[in-house]
Amino acid sequence: MIKMDKNKMKYVKNHYYISRLIRTEILFTPLLIGLPLFVGSFFIYDWYIRGVVGNCTAYKGELILGIIIIIGNIAFDIPFIKSLRVLSKKK
Amino acid sequence: MVNVADKLKDAKKRINSLDFDAHWYRRAFHSFGASFLIYYLLPDFDWINLLKLWIPPLIVLFVIFLEVFRLSGKISSNYFFGLRMYEKKRVGSYVFFAVAILILLRFFPQQIAIPCILCATLGDPIIGEIRRRYSMNYVYIIGFFICMYFFIITWFKADVFLIILVSVVGGLGALIGEIKKFWWLDDDFMIQMLPALLLLIIWVSIPYLGLSYPGDIIYPSGLTW
Repeated sequence: MIKMDKNKMKYVKNHYYISRLIRTEILFTPLLIGLPLFVGSFFIYDWYIRGVVGNCTAYKGELILGIIIIIGNIAFDIPFIKSLRVLSKKK
Repeated sequence: MVNVADKLKDAKKRINSLDFDAHWYRRAFHSFGASFLIYYLLPDFDWINLLKLWIPPLIVLFVIFLEVFRLSGKISSNYFFGLRMYEKKRVGSYVFFAVAILILLRFFPQQIAIPCILCATLGDPIIGEIRRRYSMNYVYIIGFFICMYFFIITWFKADVFLIILVSVVGGLGALIGEIKKFWWLDDDFMIQMLPALLLLIIWVSIPYLGLSYPGDIIYPSGLTW
């Protein structure tokens, strides 16, 4: 077992590659943000169709998971997008 | 007339002028992993079952190949955004993350797999944020309750005794998996596999305890495609 020192926890950076990397990450961002929201909404939709319309309580789990996925992702996506915007303003 | 080439050049320049915070990128990447729970919601059709059988291992295989090329020096580590210094000469945490999710989806019942995946995808970044802002005491207390919460909400169909047992054991397992760091084994793997193995012992013991197995949390969608 080891204790991680702060230097080891730092991120690998190389300015020569960074712009190319950033471009890839930006193209990947819609998927990173959109897919969890879609999956969470799909869970809630499925709960609504089979649970509410079909009047069955067995699908409550899907509602709970849908809400958790959406809230959990929004909670991290907002600071993620904010960090992007703030840094771009700096430049 | 609009010059498309100039516009593209300008867009490329703009994108290159942007910057990402690697810290928040890793957090968003973690929470993105919760999307894999759709695995259980996909309709029960032959062609979809075939995709479910092949796509997850193929993704993991691709990730492993990528990592082999990176560690052997064929692809520079500089191409991997958000990589930590200690991961430069070690297998990246995303590989451990992917392998653990694959093992859980394939070999564990969903009652065990779902809370363990939630611990890694949402619990881990929350614990990480607490660690950054507050003392380790808060990490132990809040981290335990967060992980415990994921086990409670996914075992809500079980007997009360089983809910308490599973949530305490699972919460402790996930917390230990997260805070104990090994150089050769990542916490993204441990936070999923340690509670999963502990819960598997409970799962096997359920009939001997005179209790009944809880029902599924997610049922394959009834969509007709």
